[in-house]
This record gives sequence, C-alpha cells and structure tokens, in this order.
Amino acid sequence: MPFHLTDEQELVRTSVREFADAEIAPLAATLDREHRPPLESIPKLADMGILGMTIPEQYGGSVSDYLSFIVALEEISRACASTGVMVEVHASLVSTSILHFGTEEQRQKYLPDMAAGKKIGAFCLTEPGAGSDAGALASTATKEDGHYVINGQKIFITNGSFAEVFIVMARTSDQPGTRGISAFLVDRGTPGMQIGEPEVKMGIRGSSTTPILFDQVRIPESALLGEEGHGFKIAMKGLDGGRTGIAAQALGIAQGAFDQARVYAMERVQFGQPIAKLQAIQWMIADMSVDLEAGRALVYQAADLEDRGQPFADAAAKAKLFCGPMATRVTHAAMQVFGGIGYTDAYPVERMYRDARITEIYEGTNEIQRLVIARSLLR
Amino acid sequence: MKIAVAYKWAADPSEASVSPDGQVDFSRAKPKISEYDAVAIAMGRALADAAGAELVGISAGGSAAATPLALKAALSRGLDSAVVVQSPDLESAGTFQTAQALAAAVRHLGDVTLVVCGDSSIDAGAQMVPAVLGGLLGWPALTDVGAAQLAAADNRLTAERSIAEGIQTLVATLPIVISAAAGALAAPAPGMKDILAAAKKPSQVLSPADLSLELAAAAPVTAQVKVSGPARRCVQIDTTDPATAAAELLAALAAAGTPIGGRS
Repeated sequence: MPFHLTDEQELVRTSVREFADAEIAPLAATLDREHRPPLESIPKLADMGILGMTIPEQYGGSVSDYLSFIVALEEISRACASTGVMVEVHASLVSTSILHFGTEEQRQKYLPDMAAGKKIGAFCLTEPGAGSDAGALASTATKEDGHYVINGQKIFITNGSFAEVFIVMARTSDQPGTRGISAFLVDRGTPGMQIGEPEVKMGIRGSSTTPILFDQVRIPESALLGEEGHGFKIAMKGLDGGRTGIAAQALGIAQGAFDQARVYAMERVQFGQPIAKLQAIQWMIADMSVDLEAGRALVYQAADLEDRGQPFADAAAKAKLFCGPMATRVTHAAMQVFGGIGYTDAYPVERMYRDARITEIYEGTNEIQRLVIARSLLR
Repeated sequence: MKIAVAYKWAADPSEASVSPDGQVDFSRAKPKISEYDAVAIAMGRALADAAGAELVGISAGGSAAATPLALKAALSRGLDSAVVVQSPDLESAGTFQTAQALAAAVRHLGDVTLVVCGDSSIDAGAQMVPAVLGGLLGWPALTDVGAAQLAAADNRLTAERSIAEGIQTLVATLPIVISAAAGALAAPAPGMKDILAAAKKPSQVLSPADLSLELAAAAPVTAQVKVSGPARRCVQIDTTDPATAAAELLAALAAAGTPIGGRS
C-alpha cells in the first residue's frame, strides 16, 4: 500500500525533527544518566503545540490528525525515548480518553491545562496482580455520601512523579472480570494518594515510573470518567491508540540508532577503508533499513485507519508487535556496527539499545498483541 | 508598510553526498528553508511586529520553489504572505538573475521599505544576492547584521554588526536591504499551529512575464575546473585539562599554517 504524507505531515516531521535535534536530543544522555524526567522540556513541547496535538482548538489544543501526532512522536523518540513516552501517555492515553469519554465540564477543567503543559497526565491501570491480565485489577471505588472512595495499589505508572491528572481504573461493583471496572479522574495531591519512589529501570531512565498507593482517596462523583462500569472499555480504547503510539516510539528509537550507525559506518576506517565498504556492514545497514520501512508502513497504516474512522485495534497491535522487536533488532545491529565504542556511553546507541527493549513489553507485551491479532482473525 | 524577507527553497547540503573526486551530488538532497533564511524570517518577524508592518516572503526559483510544500514551509516560519517568482529559467539561477527576480517582486509589492536576506544560501553560498539586490533597487545594502531596530516614523534603521573591535552600530536611511548574520537570533522550529495556519495564508506565484521582467541570460562567468580538498591529517590531543588541550590545539593549527584570530 503506497503511503504519501500530506504537506502538513511532512512539515510536522521536519519541524519536530528540527525542534528535537535542538531541544530534546542534547538532554537525552543527561536524563538517562541522572534518572530524571525531562521537566524542562514540558514548556517547550507545549509551545511547539506537541502536547496539544490530540486536543481540539476549542480546548486550547493544536489538534491535528492522528498520523501527524504519530510522526511527531516518532521524531521526539528518535531524539529521546524517555521524552517520547512522556508525550505518548499524556497526549495519546490521557488527553484522548478525557476528550472521548469526559463530560464537557471535565474537558474544560483539564484539556486547556494539558495542552499548555501545566498539567501532565498519567494512566493508572497496572497493579501488582494485574499486568497483562488488566481485568484482574483489585483496586476498589466505593460510593459514600455522594463521593467515591478509592483504595488500592497501582504500579509502573508513567509520569507518576510529576503528573497532575491521573486516570485511575478501579472496581465499582462485585461483578467479576472486566465488567465492574470504572475510570476516574484524580488530581495530584488528593489526600490519601501516595506516590512512591520511581523504579530504577534498564532503559527509558528519563521516564518517571512510580507505584501509587490509594488509601481512602475521596473524590466527588463528578470525577467519574464515562459511565460507571465502562472503565475497562475506556482503558482498552486508550490502549488501542496508545499501541500505535508505542510502535511509533519504537520506530523513532530504531531510526535514531540507524542514523547513527549509518554515519559511523561511513566514517570509521578499518582495514584501510571505511567499514561501510565491507559487505558484512552493508548487509546490516540494508537489513536495518528494510526493518524500518516495514515498521513505518505498519505504524502509519494504523494511524491512518484511526484518522479515517475505521477499526484500527488489529492494525495497531500488528504495528506494535512488529516495531517492538524491530527496535530491539535494529539497535542491536547498530551497536554491532559501532563495535566496542558502541558499548560505552560515548555514543547514544547503548542508550537506544536499552530504551528499545521496553517497547516489547509495555502497553501490551508481544504476546498480548498476538492474542489481540489472533482473536480478530479467529472470531 | 511592508517588510520583505528573501528566502530560497534550496537543497539541504547535509543530505548531499561528495564523490571521491570532490563533486557534490545534490540529487538526493531534499529542499528546505535553510537555517540562515529561518534567522532572516525571525528577524523580519520581530521588526514587522515592532513596526506594525506586514511581513512578506519573496523567493525565486524553478517549479519546486512554488509547490504548496515549499510555500507552506516558508509561511509556517512566521511570514504573513509570500510571493514566488517562478520560471524554468530560474531553476539554476545565478546571483544576478535571482536578484533581478527578487527586485521585481519587491517592486510588485510596493510599499516595501526593508528587505531582509539570510546570511547565505545553503547550496550556492555566494553571499552576493543582498548586495546585487540593493544595487538593482538603488538601495543601500548592509550585510552581517546581528541586531536591527526600525524607526519607521523617522525613516531609519539602526543596525548592529559584530566586528573585530567589538559591536559596530550603524544608522541607515530607509529603504534598505540587509542580511541577517548567521547566529543573529534564535529561529525556533515552526509549531503545530504555525503549520496548520500556513495553508490559510495568501501566496502568489508569478512568472517573469507577469512582472514584465526580462531575465538576464544565464551566462556563466566562471567554470569549475577542479575541486581539490585538503589532505586529511590527524593530530591527536590527549589530555583531560581543557587549558592544555586548547594550547595544544592552537599550536597544532599554527604549525599547520592555519590563520588564527578574529577578522581584521
């Protein structure tokens, strides 16, 4: 299927690349080394309109088509995967869930501040006993005097240490499985909400990943997002679009590693010639390039289906299932092109190699993507 | 009142390749608005905002220069509108033909009191267009401007230029052509709203005939005979002390016969 980006989508790519090269890439190694989130980039990402790309103009956003957002995410992740996932969770998972399922009052309350970068979003689904089996979550929200009281423990919450608005999934009835789950909007600082220490991770170390304990967290009924009992549907809809986003993140990481390796191969001299003249290196570069183009086609196709209002869950799962392992392969090969120096932090490929691995795990493991794809084929 | 910014939709040299015999191949390089022109547009925008003027982009080139992508790329940088003089004869125009087309665009617009150019084009890099354009318009030309302020009511432009002795402040009478120094100010990448707004901004594509312009014959005055790059030498400076490293670098450059020091 031939794929042509529109002028605007091409300009999003060149513009975000220019921005990311100047403002995001120079921070990436420091964020990784210091295990700290890119807080200084938030106002810049807001000024560029990137945080508001999934938010309509009437709520202060710079709404674009989803494919433009995906291209922007790819370019941010090419420079820094940690910044990429911060944007992805904020703009794709949280903003779009509020836009699609929120009341007008909820949209007015959150979306303008989210587009302006004053409030960053976090998505609280995973629990110690509910990872891939998200429907097994045990957090509860019980109704008391016109309020809900949330109790439970969430883990691996991206943006946890600094987010201002949290979408929290909790059980509102005793119905088993996914049916008794509801979604809530919880503001940072609500009494009883305890945000734990960030996890120490192999990669995306500039992304804040925290546990959050909800201990008698009392929120008004108006904080219910969507209908009671429909929380799992909201989570799955968010994750469908989010999968395209993580596939784009993986694509960006891989493209970043490829670009580094290609230049290095042409400059590094061994046996009296640039190593790019050696067939062993040429084959690696060729294979990486094919991987990238195949991945890009799947990611853009999934985003395009979403833009055209077509079912896209299956395409998003395919894009993520291909791009996660693809990013692992490409960053692995990129390090091989660099040889020993690539294993040090002198070049960003070692960081990219570590960053790539999570894209096979979060927002649905490879195995969960296969499950989604198989179910859509064998109905 | 209008301020014009001259820009070029030119092939990106970072995507060009150099053959072993030194020939530069631009055939696979995508065109873009250069970092020099981005600075010129940002300087023009600031001056136009301060003076309440309209900022119009002017450009000259072949068919690529007038594509919707090229126009939107320029307009997304902060121009209010754009005029492109397009002709097959301008496909690989030299300095003179380019300046002719730009001068015709300035006259067509009318009411232009200032033209801002970039420091250089990224492909040809002759740095001659501002001076020739000034000559064709009968206006003074001031290059390498690091900062500028417009006093439209007094018909004056105050410009600062960085010279070896320090900062030189010049006052010129309008109209004038200036070129912005390469690092004069930060030119931020266009934001998402700028990109969306670009499609709604007015633009005009004109032929030389529309402007009653007769382009000079593209007679090459120079011909490239040979390109010989400097031989690559490798001097390794192995120290962790920055002062020692700087001293050793200067010594190595001096030993290689490299001129060192500011402009004189």
